[in-house]
This record gives sequence, structure tokens and C-alpha cells, in this order.
Amino acid sequence: MSQKYIWVTRRTTMKRKSQDCPSRLPDNSAVKQQQLPAYRLQLSANKILFGFFATGVFCLGVGVILLLSAKTIKEVEINYTEKCANCAKLRENAANFDKECNCSIPFVLPETMKGNVYMYYKLYGFYQNLYRYILSRSNSQLVGTDVKDVRNCAPFKTSHNGIPIAPCGAIANSMFNDTIILSYNLNSSIHIKVPMIRSGITWWTDKYVKFQNPSFQNLSSAFAGTTKPPNWPKPAYELDEEDPGNNGFINDDFIVWMRTAAFPTFKKLYRRLHRIEHFTEGLPAGSYSFNITYNFPVNRFQGEKAVVLSTLTWSGGSSLFLGLAYMVTGAVTWLAFFSMLAVHLRLRERKMFFLQQ
Amino acid sequence: MFCSKKKSLEVERIVKANDREYNEKYQYTDNRIHTCKYNILTFLPINLFEQFQRVANVYFLFLLILQLIPEISSLTWFTTIVPLVLVVTMTAVKDATDDYFRHKSDNQVNNRQSEVLIDSKLQNEKWMNVKVGDIIKLENNQFVAADLLLLSSSEPHGLCYIETAELDGETNLKVRHALSVTSELGADISRLAKFDGIVVCEAPNNKLDKFTGVLSWKGSEHSLNNEKIILRGCVLRNTSWCFGMVIFAGPDTKLMQNSGKTKFKRTSIDRLMNTLVLWIFGFLICLGIILAIGNSIWENQVGDQFRTFLFWNEGEKNSVFSGFLTFWSYIIILNTVVPISLYVSVEVIRLGHSYFINWDRKMYYSGKATPAQARTTTLNEELGQIEYVFSDKTGTLTENIMTFKKCSINGRIYGEVHDVLGQKTDMTKKKEAVGFSVSPQDDSTFPFFDHHLMESIKMGDPKVHEFLRLLALCHTVMSEENSAGELIYQVQSPDEGALVTAAKNLGFIFKSRTPETITIEELGTLVTYQLLAFLDFNNFRKRMSVIVRNPEGQIKLYSKGADTILFERLHPSNEDLLTLTSDHLSEFAGEGLRTLAIAYRDLDDKYFKEWHKMLEDANAAVDERDERIAGLYEEIERDLMLLGATAVEDKLQEGVIETVTSLSLANIKIWVLTGDKQETAINIGYACNMLTDDMNDVFIIAGNTAVEVREELRKAKENLFGQNRSFSNGHVVFEKKQPLELDSVVEETVTGDYALIINGHSLTVYDQWFITLFNIVYTSLPVLAMGIFDQDVNDQNSMDCPQLYKPGQLNLLFNKHKFFICVAHGIYTSLALFFIPYGAFYNVAGEDGQHIADYQSFAVTMATSLVIVVSVQIALDTSYWTIINHVFVWGSIATYFSILLTMHSNGLFGIFPRQFPFVGNARHSLTQKCIWLVILLTIVASVMPVVAFRFLKVDLFPTLSDQIRQWQKAQKKARPLRSRKPQTRRSSSRRSGYAFAHQEGYGELITSGKNMRAKYPPPTSGLEKTLYNSTSWIENLCKKTTDTVSSFSQDKTVKL
Repeated sequence: MSQKYIWVTRRTTMKRKSQDCPSRLPDNSAVKQQQLPAYRLQLSANKILFGFFATGVFCLGVGVILLLSAKTIKEVEINYTEKCANCAKLRENAANFDKECNCSIPFVLPETMKGNVYMYYKLYGFYQNLYRYILSRSNSQLVGTDVKDVRNCAPFKTSHNGIPIAPCGAIANSMFNDTIILSYNLNSSIHIKVPMIRSGITWWTDKYVKFQNPSFQNLSSAFAGTTKPPNWPKPAYELDEEDPGNNGFINDDFIVWMRTAAFPTFKKLYRRLHRIEHFTEGLPAGSYSFNITYNFPVNRFQGEKAVVLSTLTWSGGSSLFLGLAYMVTGAVTWLAFFSMLAVHLRLRERKMFFLQQ
Repeated sequence: MFCSKKKSLEVERIVKANDREYNEKYQYTDNRIHTCKYNILTFLPINLFEQFQRVANVYFLFLLILQLIPEISSLTWFTTIVPLVLVVTMTAVKDATDDYFRHKSDNQVNNRQSEVLIDSKLQNEKWMNVKVGDIIKLENNQFVAADLLLLSSSEPHGLCYIETAELDGETNLKVRHALSVTSELGADISRLAKFDGIVVCEAPNNKLDKFTGVLSWKGSEHSLNNEKIILRGCVLRNTSWCFGMVIFAGPDTKLMQNSGKTKFKRTSIDRLMNTLVLWIFGFLICLGIILAIGNSIWENQVGDQFRTFLFWNEGEKNSVFSGFLTFWSYIIILNTVVPISLYVSVEVIRLGHSYFINWDRKMYYSGKATPAQARTTTLNEELGQIEYVFSDKTGTLTENIMTFKKCSINGRIYGEVHDVLGQKTDMTKKKEAVGFSVSPQDDSTFPFFDHHLMESIKMGDPKVHEFLRLLALCHTVMSEENSAGELIYQVQSPDEGALVTAAKNLGFIFKSRTPETITIEELGTLVTYQLLAFLDFNNFRKRMSVIVRNPEGQIKLYSKGADTILFERLHPSNEDLLTLTSDHLSEFAGEGLRTLAIAYRDLDDKYFKEWHKMLEDANAAVDERDERIAGLYEEIERDLMLLGATAVEDKLQEGVIETVTSLSLANIKIWVLTGDKQETAINIGYACNMLTDDMNDVFIIAGNTAVEVREELRKAKENLFGQNRSFSNGHVVFEKKQPLELDSVVEETVTGDYALIINGHSLTVYDQWFITLFNIVYTSLPVLAMGIFDQDVNDQNSMDCPQLYKPGQLNLLFNKHKFFICVAHGIYTSLALFFIPYGAFYNVAGEDGQHIADYQSFAVTMATSLVIVVSVQIALDTSYWTIINHVFVWGSIATYFSILLTMHSNGLFGIFPRQFPFVGNARHSLTQKCIWLVILLTIVASVMPVVAFRFLKVDLFPTLSDQIRQWQKAQKKARPLRSRKPQTRRSSSRRSGYAFAHQEGYGELITSGKNMRAKYPPPTSGLEKTLYNSTSWIENLCKKTTDTVSSFSQDKTVKL
């Protein structure tokens, strides 16, 4: 044990205080005298016990609500990695990148999906959170200020002949490029293409602030002097052939992809149901099929891909986890409450004894 | 920095008086002092050099370098440079401020004026322009400018008195005397200007009590010792002027040599902090290694296939190499685990504390208009952990103002006031003080309240008269009449002063003395006594006597001294009186008064003459002189007739008893190291409750050498095992048998209160300020950094966030056990902080159907949860909510959100698209209900276990402070806090020691007449003899003082 010694002496070395100071009595201000009005936080046993009880009630309540609302969500997930095995095989060879491969996956919706329905693509085992991957992008290029700024984009800065890539970087290069079309099979002969909206699937700030095309009248000339990412079949300004306003860096699918996921398994919003005609209520029960233009290779990294249809509740597409977690927390809090209460009551006598001391 | 470092080390110093040219060739430093470290030009390089000697800063620098390697760099370089610059700037500002004040005080000191003899004229010169070899004139109460050789003074024989309080803390005056050859120079400027002596002496050193040198003047050599030297920092007292020659100036003076580099004192918290930081660093390395291995494995299994998307270079395909790089990356990413800024925040906290100490009105001593002053900011928290308090000398405990309280004359006690019922009551201020108010010499402050004594005096009780006469005659006090005709007593020990003053007020006025006579005014009539012999006090005789012949021709011996000693020497006829007086003495002692017994003896002429002859023989004897004299003293001081006893109160400093009691309740052991007499020490020990009657083992440790004392202490310790306090009374005796007592101890009020109040306040101080500052440094700044560099918070390094503040928290209750609890807590919190959002975000879409599991949203969610969790933790830890706490706690959350929103704003992104890629994130994430639900759950999950843990701890194992808090609360409900009961003065059966706080040798000084003005010229016949004597008494005096000093240095070793 270290012992502490303090020498208390009247010894002073070099006392150099000016003697003519009128008064050296310290100011009587509340701050200096540590007498600021203060509230002494005293957590009494009762308060704490009550707090635990209330927290438990709250957590359990929220948990129940979350679980109930999670139950109302209808979700369909179809993993098409295996189902489109021949396409997958084709894509394993990078040389076949320009060969088109289509694949149709029929499925049956047993119940109507009421309300807004969202279509997602989902990737398994794709490490979009890889550190180098995340960094491999150029925000100043994407905001349109300098289309040739490829500084952070290694290893996809320039093509072999030194032309800067636009959009550059690993994220852009690996963009998910399957086309998924949902058809509603009204009967065996009538297949209606389910109307989908491809706008409104990005953050407002992403679409209007973070991503901007270079300001040229003609988009293709804005991209002059740059080349397309090596994996892309088409340059950025031709991403959406139907909507010319959805091309370049402000393409919605591109923006969604560029918002990198935190986990290796993730789903990204692809389309929203356009609630017209048959679909004003949502997706009616019945038989459907996904027509997929299979471009994105997943076998190379032993990943999988799926397409997801889902509805939402008030809290979004909540999973069971949050509700369960609230339930568990609430239960544990109550457990703690009861054990603390027991301990407290048992020791009350001892406590009284202390108080009387 | 002074660049005065000599090319060669000075071995000896040669100084010639009044010859600047001669002295210049030795390049001695002048009297300018520099305690400052920097000037404007050198500040930056020197300060930076100093700062980068600290581990913390080097660590940051190392990180910075690592970050410049692109393969490793995982964070942008400004993540490190921001805190580094912040820390370095703050420290630099603090250093600069400190140095500015040093500059200011240096300037003030350097510009003090002193009178210097230049060109045969006395000229005013600034201190800094004083050079070695100059002769300067000092006036009464002036500070000495440099180390001087005393040449002459206003006092006879070149004596002068100095107070060395600044040097060694002793307030009693010390005598210095000039060589007789130089003292003849007097104040004769022309002769002084011609003085051209050469002093050859030791090189500058820091020994305050040693000086050796030789003065060569007019062809003869005179050896010089410490007694001829006046050191810088002393104050001239009781001497209207003196001249001295500068030997050491400025930084060479002993004072400055002593006050050299202040050693940085490390507190135990510093040490613990260092250890913990090392551990954390080790932990960081381990973490890095584990993560690197993990990375290698991942690379091998998964990453390999994932390369399609990255097209990495061939070299990087090696998973081991990748792991190696990853290791360094993680070291950078996780660098915040090592709480380097903790050092800074601790510094800031300490600074704040020292300001609170300086500001505290409760620690303001109005008597001297002195506020408490924290001289160092590094040791504040140690004040809450004091185990031992050392106090030098008993005089620090007492006011050193003695008042004559009671006396017992011829078996009757005076000074006690009896009320109507005849019961003793304490003297109260209501009673009118007695005294001969007719007397012009009356001391109006004399607090003696017994009219019986006045009556006895008026009635002419011979014993009473004799008693007072003795008090007026038997002492070493010098008298002086000031211009107003008032008598001024120059008192060498305050208790003597009290007795003489008492006699004065009771009509026996000591008027003046010469070496051979003492004149007193007895109830209005002047009587001159012939002083025949002066039997001086020493520590073994414990008494002093004078032999006087009164005008009637009778020879009387008057003696006063310790009762134990004097009672042995009484005439057998005194037996009855002795028992009575003895009882009285016990009574006085019980009240904590210092007592002296008083006795006289009538001597017949013939006997005295014989004795006196023998004394003269003995004085002349070469060998065994002291023993023979002592024998003669013994011989004559017997068959004494007891007169009575005096009781003098040495008032304890205000609050000493309370302080001591509180200190011992706080289990702080008190040691008093004193040079006092054993009796006094014990007495004071009892008086201030340090010793109590129920302490049955009081060890008196007497040893003549340090070794013996150590041995004795060891034995005592064995006996005392288990007892928490010892009263060890080490009697270390050196050459001249000067006793030194190691004593158990007390405390000066001012300083005592300081420690005590800090003890009392430390809880609140820490609670308030630690937390406030913690907030500034730990929540705001990292959050600021985090707002920018949110990459920090990805899966692995979320671990570090809570730990980031944990070690800081430890400061509250800083020990290793707590540390591990906190680490566990930190790990738990970080797990909660990561896995709850992870689970909740997994595969989840937001309210607008968009995915919210992008890493930026995830980072924002976690950062927000972290800040709130930390703030809630702090809020729970804060038990004392002032407005400042509110501002800081809520302010830090508010700051976090405002910074977050700013960082994620469109405007900032527009300007720096590369640095602020989080645009829109806060807005998007924080409007999602589910994100708030996640945050809420995280908070509940991380805070609840802590609250439960604390609750159970308080319930099951309440600490003292918990109990006190509860008690306080209960009290508060009932009624305001009771003020502390006034401590009752002890009533002890113990015999109070006689106390006499003066040095031996003054008797000789008086009889030699050395210290008397020329108006009482010593008899010419005895001049040679007295001259011879003078050296001997001065030597004696010196020996006493040096002994005290050396014995003090000795007790440090003893104490080991």
C-alpha cells in the first residue's frame, strides 16, 4: 500500500505577494464558493423500484405493440440464385457479360398484400461494408462538380488506357444490374405487368443534393472524356432508357446502390407498387411471376440473391427482433424489479437500524 | 532559461568588495533572477520539446505517422491531429500563463529597490542591478536582496537580527554578527567605500546553514562562517540598518539554489493512471492482433472470392500480409481506447480544484488577510487521501501568544473568580480586568480578573511582593523605551514575556537593565538591584536563577523552573506548602496551562563570595569548564523557599482541537516534529486532544542518535501493533545534547482547515467538477470528432466507445478493482450499443420503404445512442445538480445534435463534398420512429443493469457515504443540520509540563552586555573579558540553531 505524506509547514519559499492589495478576501460569488443553487439528486429506493417497474411496463407495452404490428406485415421472399441456375452458371464466366440471360420464377400469393407494396432485391454475402469498398467512390464526381475527379476510386479510377471512369470506384462498378419485372397472372393466358414506380426510392438529399449530373445540356457530352465502369454494359447516361431524366448519377437504382449497406446481407428498395387498376388495394392474392434479366453474378463470391415483396407498418418494415428485444428487456427489468424489491424488503429492518444511527 | 551556465564549474568564489571590474572577470551572475522558463522566442521550441517528451503526445504523433501510410491509414489524418493540436495547445496556453506570472513576479522582485554603495555614494539601485562585491545598505524590516557578508550594523558589536521565515519557516529571530574588524566601519560611507577586502569562499550551493570562507583585509585573514552571512529572503528585524557585501547574487543565492527545478510530484492517481493506460494499451495490441488474425481468416475464406469487386493487387492477395496491414489499421481506428486525453482532463480538473481552493472563503484567514493558496495544482486530489499529517513544531499549533492566567502564591490560588456561591467559575469577559490602572505602564489588554490579588498586593503581603519581584527580576527580557515613553519588552520567549508583563501590570515594573544591574519599579518606587550572577537556563537544568543584591544589601537567589526540578531543591520546611502548591499545579495543568514553580533563597554574603570566587575559577578553567559550572549552579540552587507557581496559557490556535479531533476521526495520523521540550510537547499533545487520558500507552522514545531512535521507534511500533496512533517521543540528542522530539502531532489552523475542508468538500468537488469537465472533454470532443468521422463506429470498434469514457470515470473511485468493473460495464454497454441496432436493422426497411440498414444510418444511430447513454450515465452519477451541470449535461447532448445536424447539412456538403459525405443522414435517420425505438431500447438496456447493480450495492453493502447521504436526507426532513457541538476542553489529570520556549545562552548575552545599547556601557575593566566571552556565547547560540536545523534534517531520516 502506498502511503501518502503531506508536509504541513509554514515554510514558504519566495513569497512575492504584493502587500498593497486592498483585500484578498475571495469574492463571495456563488460559483467561487461552490454554493450554486443545486438540486441534490437522491435516488431513493422507492423511486428506483418504481422506475424499474415503470420501465418494465413500458418495454413490455412497446414490445407487444411492435410484435403485433410486425405480424400484420406481409412479406414474400424468393431466392432466385438456384432457381436461375443456368443464368448463374453463365455469369460465372466474366467473358459472357454481354450475353443476355432471362429467367422466370412463378409464385403464388396466398393472401392479398394490402396497402403499399415494396419490391426489394436482397443480397446474401455481399460485403458492401468492406472498408476499402466503402471508400472506393468519388463524392465530388457524383455531385457533378468534377466528373473527372477519380482520386479515391482505386482500384477503378481509370480504364486501361487512362480514361477516368465515371462513375468511378468499386461501389459503382459492382452495381446490382438485374432487371426484375413482376407479372400478375390474372389467368393462365392474361399476364399483366404489375405497374411499378421506380422513383421515390431514394433519400431526398441523395437525389437532390448528394448526386448531381454535370451541368450540360446533353448528358452524354457531360460524360465526355470518361468511360463506363468495366462491369457496366452501358455508360451511366444510358441507365434508364425509358426515362431520360433518370440517367447519369441521379439514376435512382444507382443512388440506392451507392448507399452502402452496413451488413453483408441486405435488401435494397427496387420498385414501389403503383396502385392503379387491379392494384389499388395492393397486390391481390393470386399467381405471379418474376421475370428476371439475370446480369449480376453472385456465384463468384458464393453469395445469393433474392427478390422481396413487402408491406409496411407505422414503424416501417419492422422485424420481430425489435419487438422481441423490447419484450425481453421488459421482462428482465421486471425480474430485476422483483428481486430488488425482495432484497430491499428483507433488508429494510437493517436499513432502519442504520437510519437511526 | 538562463544561459549563465559557466564554462567551468565554479570551485571557489573570489569576491573583492567595491571592485566591480575585478569581480567581472569571474563572470558571476548578477542579482537578476529568472524563474521563468521561456521568453517569446524560445517558448514554441522549448515548450513543444517538453510536451513531446510526454508519452501521450508521442503516442499521438506515432499514430499520425501511421496514418500517413496509405496502406494502413484507416482514418483521415485529422482524426488524430485535432485532439493532438487541442491537447498541445491547451497545455501550451497553460504553460504560457504560468510563465507569464513567473515573468511578472520576477520583474517585481528584480525591480525592488535597494541602496547600493556606488562611487562612494549610496544610490538607489534595482535589485537586478546589484552585483557581486557591492556593498548594500539594508534597513529594518527590509528583505535582503542577495547573500551578504554582514559588515556592520546599527547594533553594538555589529549584531543584527534576522527573521528567516522565508527560508526555513522559523519565525523566531536569529542573531548574526559582523567581524569585529568590519563592524568598526559602522555607517561611515567613506570608510565603507574604501573597504577592499577579498572574500574567498565556497562555490554557490544550497546549504542554508553552512558557509565557509575567508576574508582577507588589511593583510590579515579572518575566517567566515554562517554567522556572518545574511541570506537572500531573510528580513532584517530590530536593527535599524546594516551594511553587507554581496557574496552570492541572483541565481547563486542559497535561496534560489534551493528553489531550483520543482520536481514534478506524481500522485497515486497519476501512477495508477499510467498503469491502467499501459494495460489498456496492451489490451489494444491484443485486440489488434485478434482482429488481424480474424481478418486473415476472413480474407482466406471469403475475401478471396470477393476480390472480383475490388481487383486487388497481387501482393495484397496474401491474407497474412493483409492481416498485418489490418493490425496497424486497427491500432489507428481503436486509438481512442487509450484515454490519452484523460491526462489533459485530469489536469484541467485539478486546475479547477485549485481555483476553488483559492476562492474558498471558508479557508480565508482574516487575521492575516490570507486566502488559502494552492501552490501546486498537481496534488489536489491527494488531499482527499491524506494518511499522515506532519507538522513542524508545537508552535504551529499554538498561537504563541502567552497570557498569564493564574498563580499560586504561598498556597493560595489567584486568578480564579468565585461567584456568590463560592463556586469557581471561569473567568468571563464580563468581569473587569484588574491592574493598577493608575500606572502609566499599564497594559490595557492584560486579562487578569482577580481582585484578591490586588488586595493582597495593596495589603503588602510580603510573599506576594516577593513573588512579583521575582517575576520582574528573573528573566532574560530586554526593555526599551520608545519615543512615546512606553516600555517595550524585547522578549526572547513569549512565556517569559507573559510573566514580566504580568508583574508589570501588578505593580512590579521591570524598567531597565545593564549587565550588572536590574532596575524595577516596585509599586511606584524605583529600586535598582545589583545583578551578581545569572544562572542561565538550559534544557537539563530546566530552571534559571538570578542572584541579586537588593538596595538593603541582602543577597537573594531567585529561581524559576520546572516544578519537578524545583521541588527537589526546596528546603525541607516547605513540605506543607509543597503539597498545596503541587495540588494547585495539577489543577492548572488540568486546564492546559503551562506552569512554572517559583522559589527564592536568601544567601549570606560570605557564602556567596566564596561561591562566586569558585564560579570565576570555573569560568577560567580550561577543561571541564561546563561541568564545573553546572556543579556550582547545583550547589547554590538548593534549600530554596517555595513562593508559588505561575500558570501561563499558551492559547492553542483557534480550531486546533476541533481540527485534530476531526483529523483523527478521519483516521489521519498526525505527527508533530518538534524541537520543544518533552513536557511542552506532551502537554500540547494533551491540550489539543491528540493525546487523551484513555490512551494508556504513551511511548517516550529517547535515543541519542538516529540509529537509537530508529530502534526505539521500531520497538514502539511492535508494541503498538493494532493501535492506530502512536505518541512517539524521540529524543534525539546531538553534540550539545539538543533535544529533538519526534512527536505525535498536530496542525496549524489555517493549513489544518485547508486539509479538512478539502476532505469535507472533496466529495462534492469531484461530483460537480469531475463530471462537468468530463463532459467537455469526453463527450463533446469525441462526439465532435465522431460526428465527422463516423466510420469509427463500425462493428469492431464500437467496443471502444464506452471504454473511452470509462477510464475517466475511474477517477471518482480510482482503483484497479473498480477499473475492471468499469471495463466489464464498458464491454457490456458496447455490446448493447452494437447488437441492439444490429438486430433491429437487420433486414428492415424504413417508414418510406427504403432500407435503413445502410452503414451511415447505422453509425448515426449508434453514435446517438452512445451519446445519450453516456449522458444518462453521467446524469446518474451526478448527485449534485447545479446550473452548470445542467448546462453541461444537457448542453453536451444539445451540442451533439447541433453538430450532427451541421455536419450532415447540405451547405457543408456543398462546400466540402469529400469531407462530409453524411449529408442528409441525420435528417433522414432521426425522423424514423424505429430508429428512436432502437435508441430508447439501447439506453434502457445499457443503463438499467447499472442502476440495479448500484441499488443492490447500496442496499446490501452500503458504504459510509451512502449511509451518510441517507442520514442527511432523513435529517433534512426532520430539521436543519445540527451544528457541531463545541468541543469541551479536556479535563485531564495530567500534570501540565512546565514550558519555557527559550534558548540557552541569553543569560550570557545579558551579562556580557553585548546586546545592550551604548547608553549602558559595559564596565571598561571587563571589556576584554566580555569580548572573549562574546564569541563563546555567540558560538553557543549558533550551535543551538544549527543543531535545530540539523536535527530537523535528521528526523527525516529517522522517520523512514
